[in-house]
Amino acid sequence: MSTLSLVEERAVRRIAIGHTLNRWDVKLSPYLYVSPFFVLFALTGLFPLLYTAYVSVFDWHIIGGQGDFVGLGNFEWVLAQEKFWISLRNSFSIFLLSAVPQVILALIIAAVLDQNLRSKTFWRMGVLVPYVVAPVAVALIFSNMFGDQYGLINNLLGRIGLDPVGWHSQVVPSHLAIATMVNFRWTGYNALIFLAAMQAVPRDYYEAAMLDGAGRVRQFLSITVPSLRPTLIFVIITSTIGGLQIFDEPRMYDSAGTGGASSQWLTITMYIYNQGFGPAGGGQFGHAAAAAWILFLIIIVVGLINLAATRTIASSGSRSAS
Amino acid sequence: MSTSRRTLAAAITGAVTFALLASGCSSAPAPGGTPETLTLATFNDFGYTDAMLAEYTDLTGIKIVQNKAATSNDARTNYFTKLGAGSGLADVEAVEIDWFAELMQYSDKLADLSNPDLADRWVQWKADAATDPDGRLIAYGTDIGPQAICYRSDLFAAAGLPTDRAEVAALIDGDWANYFSVGEGFVANSDAAWFDSSGAILQGILNQDPETLESTDGTVIATTNPVVETAYTDVLDAGSTLSAHLSQWSDDWAAGFANGAFATMLCPGWMLGVIEGNAPEVTGWDIANVFPGGGGNWGGSYLTVPAQGKNTEAAKKFADWLTAPEQQLKAFVTTGNFPSQTSLYNADELLSVTRPYFNDAPTGQIFSDRSSAVTVAPFKGAKYFPVMDALQNAITRVDVDQTEDASASWTDFVTDVNAIG
Amino acid sequence: MTATTERPTSAVLVPPRPPAPVRRSRASRRGRALASNKPSALGYAFLVVVILGSLFPLYWSFLIGSGDSSSINRQDIDWLPGGNFLSNAAKVINDPSVNFWRALANSLIVSTTVAASVVTFSTLAGYAFAKLRFRGSKPMLIFVIATMAVPTQLGIVPLFIAMSQWLGLSGNLLAVILPALVSAFGVFWMTQYLSQSLPDELIEAARVDGASMIRTFWHVGVPAARPAAAMLALFIFIATWTNFFWPFIILDSSNPTLPVALSLLQSNFFIDYSIVLAGVILSTIPLLVLFVVAGKQLVSGIMQGAVKG
Repeated sequence: MSTLSLVEERAVRRIAIGHTLNRWDVKLSPYLYVSPFFVLFALTGLFPLLYTAYVSVFDWHIIGGQGDFVGLGNFEWVLAQEKFWISLRNSFSIFLLSAVPQVILALIIAAVLDQNLRSKTFWRMGVLVPYVVAPVAVALIFSNMFGDQYGLINNLLGRIGLDPVGWHSQVVPSHLAIATMVNFRWTGYNALIFLAAMQAVPRDYYEAAMLDGAGRVRQFLSITVPSLRPTLIFVIITSTIGGLQIFDEPRMYDSAGTGGASSQWLTITMYIYNQGFGPAGGGQFGHAAAAAWILFLIIIVVGLINLAATRTIASSGSRSAS
Repeated sequence: MSTSRRTLAAAITGAVTFALLASGCSSAPAPGGTPETLTLATFNDFGYTDAMLAEYTDLTGIKIVQNKAATSNDARTNYFTKLGAGSGLADVEAVEIDWFAELMQYSDKLADLSNPDLADRWVQWKADAATDPDGRLIAYGTDIGPQAICYRSDLFAAAGLPTDRAEVAALIDGDWANYFSVGEGFVANSDAAWFDSSGAILQGILNQDPETLESTDGTVIATTNPVVETAYTDVLDAGSTLSAHLSQWSDDWAAGFANGAFATMLCPGWMLGVIEGNAPEVTGWDIANVFPGGGGNWGGSYLTVPAQGKNTEAAKKFADWLTAPEQQLKAFVTTGNFPSQTSLYNADELLSVTRPYFNDAPTGQIFSDRSSAVTVAPFKGAKYFPVMDALQNAITRVDVDQTEDASASWTDFVTDVNAIG
Repeated sequence: MTATTERPTSAVLVPPRPPAPVRRSRASRRGRALASNKPSALGYAFLVVVILGSLFPLYWSFLIGSGDSSSINRQDIDWLPGGNFLSNAAKVINDPSVNFWRALANSLIVSTTVAASVVTFSTLAGYAFAKLRFRGSKPMLIFVIATMAVPTQLGIVPLFIAMSQWLGLSGNLLAVILPALVSAFGVFWMTQYLSQSLPDELIEAARVDGASMIRTFWHVGVPAARPAAAMLALFIFIATWTNFFWPFIILDSSNPTLPVALSLLQSNFFIDYSIVLAGVILSTIPLLVLFVVAGKQLVSGIMQGAVKG
């Protein structure tokens, strides 16, 4: 009798323990699952960003280490540098020269891909090939093709009787060349994003337009493009964040990697790199950190403007749709 | 889908296994005594061939791993980054003369290499520059860069100029104005330019003056020093007709060698390897035993032993061996890097060296003569490298890019120098 | 968080969908496709031009890379490859300042480790966000989404200080791997995917059968997550493989990744473009092979990210 109750008691207790364990299991598991991300992100993402702010208010040298507190001195110094503003101009210019043609070309490619093609996968993969070429490799190929004196492009221009272009020496041509590298790598990728969005556009819209006698170009402009607005804005936002930080292509555009003799194609990220690690005036971590924070703020502002634009366009878009 | 997933999984497993194996293989440094391996970091081409390094292994049992950075600029960035990092430098690291003074500021991070036995190994100015304010010798000299004039005899012939190297030397002998006026005569009869790069010529002129970019107390005087501005103006004046409008070390410059874009260039010993590398198929390069405005030194390097290394004693011995006359002589034969070791200057082994690519020019004799013609050791302080970089950019804007005139570019140069501080 | 400049797919705005429904709906849409949507010859011609344009730089690279050092300098262009590709490739491989095999191995190690780690942690966190109820999950998820827009490569100065001066990892692959172990984009991607493709009933059934949380995750969550995880792995692998900025700062010629090694080729003492571009081809081959094997998944990954959920 007593043994029996003991066994029962043990069983009951075991269930109770099981319940408690189970409760803890349910409660704690989610936190356990998300914690690796948050812990690692705090260490490797959040901390560097915050510590950048700390470094930016000190005189700080790569070898000498932390020096005197200088308040906003580094920010004032960076903002007073002509090269900083040139690099800002260059980053925006390269960004615009790559984003605008890229989006237009990607839209057209997507529209063609959206037709009833034979062997769809082949064409889709075809436009995506450049995506697997590393930016460094892209830059090496294009910097060769865009050589000022002995490059392929100028050679071809010469054959059709045109003057050679100073792809490295001039400001705008150098931006065009670098933008071409970005476009080469990303146009096909964005075309696929647009293609997917196009396929989500209900086909009856087109049927209705056809009945109204709209031609193909008109359908594209008045149905396809407006329906793609959110995707368009998305692509623009991501290419803004990526484009304003461009480094690989301009860094590798010539063998010196300093952005040209008059900083023709020096970008902000290159400027940050040069302040911190680069050949001329390097090692100034305080300056580099201040410049990094300024770039961070610029990206946030541009991002917010984008977001506001998205909201406005999206709401006006849905209003007109309904 | 499921096959490809399995393939992917297999690929990942394979790669991770490989990763673990590979990381397990990396050898740990010996805690003390004789290390198993020493690392050596050079740039360009120091002429330290595998055979030479294997010789050291035979002598001592220490294996040598050499890492070559591409250019002196890359090496410099790497050196300062790793010095800042506090680790990661090789046991023996090469340094170029133009940023040597910058490194000298951190001489406490370098091992003391002083050794009374080696007191007379190097030319005096080379050793002096490597001694820090506390009297510690922190670097062993490898080569120096006494300059001659390299020229394309085929282009000379086509333009009606003499091709024999003694005659060419006689023709060019004189000051820079003479070098330029001979050039005017050349370009009148040739499609090629007279020299490769105005930046290089400016470099040559400035290296003949004791105080150029900085005064000996370390103050930057580049923007106010009349020597600099005069040289800048003269070079750009001459360059408008004589220059191939190429920027040194650029892709176009490299291509210009093979394309016969220019007929002459300033030629320190280490430039020989550059010419051969850039234009292996070209025949016609020769060397004239002459230099405008007297002798001049351009470049040259040192070996240092960073104190952060774990084997500084062994590294010191190795650097000593590498910079011994025997090894530097071999390096000279391989690449043309002219030794800074005085005992070689009268040695037949050096004087008899010739170079087939340059029409069998007696490079040993030529550079030995050029070396004794060097009378000035220009002061190069901590800011020399960035200021020279800014000055070269100023020249490039006018000579290569042609986006600014000389005076506007000079104004920008002043701004750049002020930013360097 | 990776320090790459990789762009996420548009999953940020429009969540990815499970593949099966997408395929079905696409088919049904196709069924309704209009007669006028048949491609014209012009459309094909246009695509051919686009693809030729995409391939031309690689072809040019091969053209120069298979010539000799003088072929680049000829004013009359030879449009057919020369016979020197193998010898040029051998020069790249044997160049002591490039360390090609080590670079290749390093790129494999880094990309594989990072992809595996990102996929693991993203699946765990994505499963929790998508399928488990817990206090604070909403704000946490919003935080994850917000951090996707933060350009973490701006933290290079502290990253450098921490990795090299504090941890002594300068030149060590760990310095490249550690900062890339997790990705906010990955967490978001897996969250979106799992919340749509994994029915709650499956999880409940497993729980009723007495499976612990981790068992349920392993036997229900992981299988459901596989297709999305494979795509995520692909994207992260490619992004890490092509990443340059941070490895360029923290690694050096003695222990580079492929892009870092490539960058060394260009700034050589003398520049022989036949060798530089042979190196470009060599370093691109591994990803081209991956593309041939997994290009289809890559295409559908990008497109699923874009389809409006």
